[in-house]
Amino acid sequence: MLPTYCPSCHAQLKVKCLKCENCQTEVNGSYDLPVLARLSSDDQQFILRFVKNSGSLKEMASEMKLSYPTVRNLLNEIINKIDTYEK
Amino acid sequence: MKSKNASGFMLNPFIRIAGWQSFGLGLAFVVLMGLIGACSNVAFDGVLDMHLIKDLTLLNSFLFLAVDVVSLVLVMWIAGLTLSRNFRFVDILGTMTLAKAPFLILAIAGLFTTAPDMTQVIRNPVMVFQSVSFIVLLLLSIPVIIWSVALMYHALKVSCGVNGNKLTITFIVALLVSEAVSKVLLFILA
Repeated sequence: MLPTYCPSCHAQLKVKCLKCENCQTEVNGSYDLPVLARLSSDDQQFILRFVKNSGSLKEMASEMKLSYPTVRNLLNEIINKIDTYEK
Repeated sequence: MKSKNASGFMLNPFIRIAGWQSFGLGLAFVVLMGLIGACSNVAFDGVLDMHLIKDLTLLNSFLFLAVDVVSLVLVMWIAGLTLSRNFRFVDILGTMTLAKAPFLILAIAGLFTTAPDMTQVIRNPVMVFQSVSFIVLLLLSIPVIIWSVALMYHALKVSCGVNGNKLTITFIVALLVSEAVSKVLLFILA
């Protein structure tokens, strides 16, 4: 799991270096993490499941053994987090 | 851990059950309440009310329950609309119907209860203590009502996906209004 928060001060981490495994070239800088990568692993799993179920909350609810409004509330929480990150 | 999960489920089953599924289950409880209530003379004449009535008919038993459920669902649906637009009516219908389920305990307890003679109780209130089963039913009604109210609160919370003070205040107002609406409807129908 990609770390997204500083273990010391809990601030949002940035990408400093990316490396090509083929030619060993390193790209250095200070890049923001993509919005989806900033979400918790549970939230990312939820989004993956949402996409795999073609966006059907009903199917997700039966798969997760949760009620429809609970799944919809979880989705709303993720939407709110994404809105916050985008601000 | 398992008992914590079980108690959590008893207070908020709507995380797992909602919509038509909870409506079907809730309806089964309501039908049992109507049938057993008619046998035990326990009338659910109000959203949060329970009274012992002499010679309660099956028709009246179900009429009281129908008025209760309709008042509760409609008022909570309107309350839900003030909190959120992003919810389904069937979730309010199902979860609120299931939230009435704890009252089945009182209908069953009523089978073992002897009501004291109210004309004598009015003359001498101490007479009420002569009917132990009646006192037990009264005491039992307190946790049952609290449980049912807790279920109604979680029903609104899960169905509408809202939290905080706004939910709490709206819920309290809606509960009082639904109780008043059910009483008015029963008065009109009587």
